[in-house]
Amino acid sequence: MTNRASAGRIAAHVVMIGLSFLAIFPVYWMIQTSFRAENEIFSGGLFPAVPTLKNYTDVLAAMPMLRILGNTVVMAGATTLAQVATGLLAAWALVRWRFPGGALARSLIALSWLVPFQVVMIPNYVLASKLGLLDTVTGLVIPNAAAAFSVLVLYNAMRGFPREVIEAARMDGAGNFRILAEVVLPNLSAPLASVSILCFISAWNDYFWPLLLIRRMENSVVQIGLQFFMTQEGNDWGPLMAAATLASLPILALYLVLQRQVVDSFMKSGIR
Amino acid sequence: MASIDIRSVHKLYGKTPAVRGLDLAVEDGSFLVILGPSGCGKSTLLRMIAGLEDISAGEIAIDGRVVNEVEPGRRGCAMVFQNYALYPHMTVAENIGYALKVAGVPKAERADRVGRVAAMLGLGDLLARKPSQLSGGQRQRVAMGRAMVREPGIFLFDEPLSNLDAKLRIQMRLEIKRLHRELKTTSVFVTHDQVEAMTLADTLVVMNQGVIEQVGTPAEVFRRPKSRFVANFLGSPPMNFLPAEIDRRGRAVLAGGHMPWPDLVFELAAETRIEVGLRPGDLTPVAGKAAEGAIPFEPDILEDLGSELHWHGTVGGSAVAVALPAATPIPAGPVGLKAPPSAVHAFLGDGRRAEPAAAPIPSPKPSGEAPWRATSLSYT
Ligand SMILES: Nc1ncnc2c1ncn2[C@@H]1O[C@H](COP(=O)(O)OP(=O)(O)O)[C@@H](O)[C@H]1O
Ligand SMILES: [Mg+2]
Repeated sequence: MTNRASAGRIAAHVVMIGLSFLAIFPVYWMIQTSFRAENEIFSGGLFPAVPTLKNYTDVLAAMPMLRILGNTVVMAGATTLAQVATGLLAAWALVRWRFPGGALARSLIALSWLVPFQVVMIPNYVLASKLGLLDTVTGLVIPNAAAAFSVLVLYNAMRGFPREVIEAARMDGAGNFRILAEVVLPNLSAPLASVSILCFISAWNDYFWPLLLIRRMENSVVQIGLQFFMTQEGNDWGPLMAAATLASLPILALYLVLQRQVVDSFMKSGIR
Repeated sequence: MASIDIRSVHKLYGKTPAVRGLDLAVEDGSFLVILGPSGCGKSTLLRMIAGLEDISAGEIAIDGRVVNEVEPGRRGCAMVFQNYALYPHMTVAENIGYALKVAGVPKAERADRVGRVAAMLGLGDLLARKPSQLSGGQRQRVAMGRAMVREPGIFLFDEPLSNLDAKLRIQMRLEIKRLHRELKTTSVFVTHDQVEAMTLADTLVVMNQGVIEQVGTPAEVFRRPKSRFVANFLGSPPMNFLPAEIDRRGRAVLAGGHMPWPDLVFELAAETRIEVGLRPGDLTPVAGKAAEGAIPFEPDILEDLGSELHWHGTVGGSAVAVALPAATPIPAGPVGLKAPPSAVHAFLGDGRRAEPAAAPIPSPKPSGEAPWRATSLSYT
């Protein structure tokens, strides 16, 4: 390797290390602030002088944080399951059959991805209120039970699946559900993991729809819970950071367990 | 075992025809090979028999029952695909046994039948492997096993050997032939490889552009091609074609006024333009420019294939290849080419075969005996 090339590599690494710090620092700051006493919040230094758990006890006293976390896990999990299930069925239909209007259906699904949330939030809200779903976790899940994103990702994955293998299964006498479940699905683990992870994270981070729908703290999800500490008299930074840390822990845990798949899914979906 | 009847079947993709009015009967227990160039509609025909492709018009019947609307899994056909199409996540045993699992065959019986088929194909030691851990030849065998385990009435093969290397291809070809001899299952085998077609077929069907050019035994099709297309498609090196014109007495006159077969008479009008077809193996070189009954040959390149010599050159401007047994002495100096009249094929402008009049009368030779025995002039 020439000197010039190695110099280039060192420069690239310096830049990347700098960028990593930029990305990590806010997270670090959130965590360390959550351990600071109230009088120490605005003092400098990289570490809290006297670490305390008071912010956490405050959070747990101020709201049913565990219940809220539970709600969020249920909401994000159910949303993910629903999106994967609807996505699988829709993608399978589009891949398996050529039917008049199939291409149109596909473009409409893709187009629905571009419709901003603000356009559908009022009709959804009215519908949810008529169905008695206001202030319920069910109401949070149902409008997000089908998503263009999962349909399209799974459609592309299935289209890449060899047609002959599906045909071989048809020759073997398998019906369409059976082919989907026993032949296609087992070979779709990577795209399924991508879709599930991205779907879970985006449901977890959803803010506007819960903000509209949820009234009571015990039905709330974490993103709304955080808002509790932002008041007109100013933000309650200690507990806010403690709650934010709690809110990001499950995602962090998910990331640690499925690190490889998470990175892959972001790379593959073109979102970086 | 089952028979197949295909009656004026058409297939259109949008407005483009892929199969254009095709009639074919496949007898119970026979091995039918469909041969044709890429894109001629072979796979489409096979897939219509299998039920993987809708039939645009016409009927396909299996054992007398019209199956146009019958699901692929209920037609009693099993198919071997070109790229094997094994289930990637299943083991060899699961791949072979999947059809039985779908059919609800109990586990013990399934294992038994899979074991028997695997033993037949020499896959006994590989049952626990995944397809990704197999070589091409082994995958091919698994695909065969998957088709065999159901004991179907019909085997459909879509170019199953074309992804194998040359040596394996020959081996698998023999194995398929052996299996057919043993199982006697009606088979339809699609290929673009003429050697496969010639060696495997009981009945050979040559297809071109969505229609059948000729049906017959391999020998019939090779020796008496019905069209220029078939003549050109079968044989390696391919048949040589020389432009010719019919004279007033119905004889073929080659470019340059040569008339090597004065006894061969066609019932065609004078001045009809035809093409004379001669297989490279039917040509014999003779020394001397204007040997009696010979066509002057301008040699160019001599290829020694070890088992055979291929001598390429021209006759009156048309490319001509001569295939000779190995170690044939090559005459030095000017050469002519000779071919017996029985080896002459003639094709009209539209590609149809033209037959010479039934029994050409040998013209008396001024000296010695006739260059060919009179019986060799008969075309039957
Ligand atoms: N799904 C399809 N859609 C449109 N055209 C097709 C399709 N499948 C095959 N064709 C066309 O039909 C013709 C015959 O194809 P095929 O049966 O696959 O040929 P072969 O197997 O003899 O090579 C080709 O011209 C091909 O382009
Ligand atoms: Mg083909």
